[in-house]
Amino acid sequence: MSDEETKPDVQSGGSGAVAPDDETPSWMERKTRSTGLSRLTYEYFERARREDQDLRTESDYVERDVLGFPTWPHEVIRNLAITMFFSGVILLIAATVPPHLGAPANPSKTPEVILPDWYLYWSFGLLKLNPLNPGLEILGGDKIISDQLYGVLANVVVVSAVAVVPFLNKGSARRPVEQPFWAAIGVGGFVFSITIAAIAVQNLIPLSLALQLNLAFVLPIVSGIITYAVLKTMREGYMYDLNRRYYRLRPPK
Amino acid sequence: MSLEKKDEFDHNAWLKRKDLTPIEKTFLMSLIYLDQRLRIVDYLEVLETLYYRVNLQMPKSHTEQYNLDNKFWYWYPLYSLGFFSIVAYIIAAATGALLGFYYTPSTAGDPSMAYNSVVAITTDLNFGFYLRSLHRWSAQFMTAAVFLHMIRVYFTGAYKEPRELNWILGIVLISLTLVFGYTGYLLPWNQLAFWAGQIGVEMALAVPIIGEWGAQLLFGGFTLGEATIVRMYILHVFVLPFVVTALIALHVGIVWMQGIAEPH
Repeated sequence: MSDEETKPDVQSGGSGAVAPDDETPSWMERKTRSTGLSRLTYEYFERARREDQDLRTESDYVERDVLGFPTWPHEVIRNLAITMFFSGVILLIAATVPPHLGAPANPSKTPEVILPDWYLYWSFGLLKLNPLNPGLEILGGDKIISDQLYGVLANVVVVSAVAVVPFLNKGSARRPVEQPFWAAIGVGGFVFSITIAAIAVQNLIPLSLALQLNLAFVLPIVSGIITYAVLKTMREGYMYDLNRRYYRLRPPK
Repeated sequence: MSLEKKDEFDHNAWLKRKDLTPIEKTFLMSLIYLDQRLRIVDYLEVLETLYYRVNLQMPKSHTEQYNLDNKFWYWYPLYSLGFFSIVAYIIAAATGALLGFYYTPSTAGDPSMAYNSVVAITTDLNFGFYLRSLHRWSAQFMTAAVFLHMIRVYFTGAYKEPRELNWILGIVLISLTLVFGYTGYLLPWNQLAFWAGQIGVEMALAVPIIGEWGAQLLFGGFTLGEATIVRMYILHVFVLPFVVTALIALHVGIVWMQGIAEPH
């Protein structure tokens, strides 16, 4: 029913052999114009539909709003197309860039560079935040918690910050332009994951530790502010279209 | 609701009122008979729609169907990252199973049997080097895809209200993927592996109260050795595959039930 309401009523004349999709007349539109037996069929179907509609209204079965579109078939089919390409990329890269196997483990010789794989750099960087572990005057400059515990706690804080996001940000907004603040938080977090990873490989970067620590926290904030400003500016022009199309389909609560 | 039909849907009375010719009446009676049993109204509509939509094509996405904003279609590759990480996971599982035939989780000897077995896989085994390369690269791709997937979900607001549970599940999965990567990183028992393990032990020991117990459980002691590599191996090839596969199934099942949240 709602399908037919949203369809434009435009009936274009002489638009080629194949009707463009938007201009395909709806089932109801086609039927109202016909006569004879097909007209009768239409009338009966209209009655049958109204009957269905009435029964549906009466029943206690709750029809929910559509919250998403189905995984099968189009999502999976398109994913297959894109995924097959990237699986090919895996096979090709595996053939051309074989992994390196370094020297065997030697507990008596500490290597100059100790690093986990790249995807743990952010966590490793958080472990190296000990220069920021505050010392208290009362304790004579001693630290309340050890540097290592401080690093572990930093990891816990970051992961739980990510985990609470859906409980803080609710509603039907989907696009970054609609919520510049949350987009700014996201960009800031993303930049932070890179700057903190840079601290993990600090001995490979020709910058002083103090400068890098500053950058690690300043850059995310700066990029967050820039994102916010840009999206706020875009928003004005964007909201007209959004309101017209989107809130017609998903009325705000 | 009552079983008795309402008057306005009494089709027989309607037929009488219409005053039809015999042909029309026969037609309509048989139509009603068939429709009441087979709901042909639904199928007829589908057929007609197919007929009019001569250019048969892929079912449209939500965005296309409602002509929302075509710009967002170009973000589409980012929507396949979750699926792609599953495919990479399957490739890693298949190659990992093959590698497991030839790998020995032991630190005995100098260099260790584990290291020697990895050398043997890469140099003696047919396609061994490619197998190891494939395993490692698919793991790298999976991790990268999982991170990008999380970023995509964040910026398209797909984690919002009815989907919080899946977001939390995703964080658990991403953490387990990292543990997967870490345990696998230790297995060749080279210098990088050993010292990454050292960091792991120190990190575990830094946790208050349960730290020592955790280090014992995961690394089999406070210094790295035979127990460590066996535990890492069991985690990597036995515990994590079961847990992660089950959680992926749950994650995808929830997505399947709730539908894909496309930006509107």
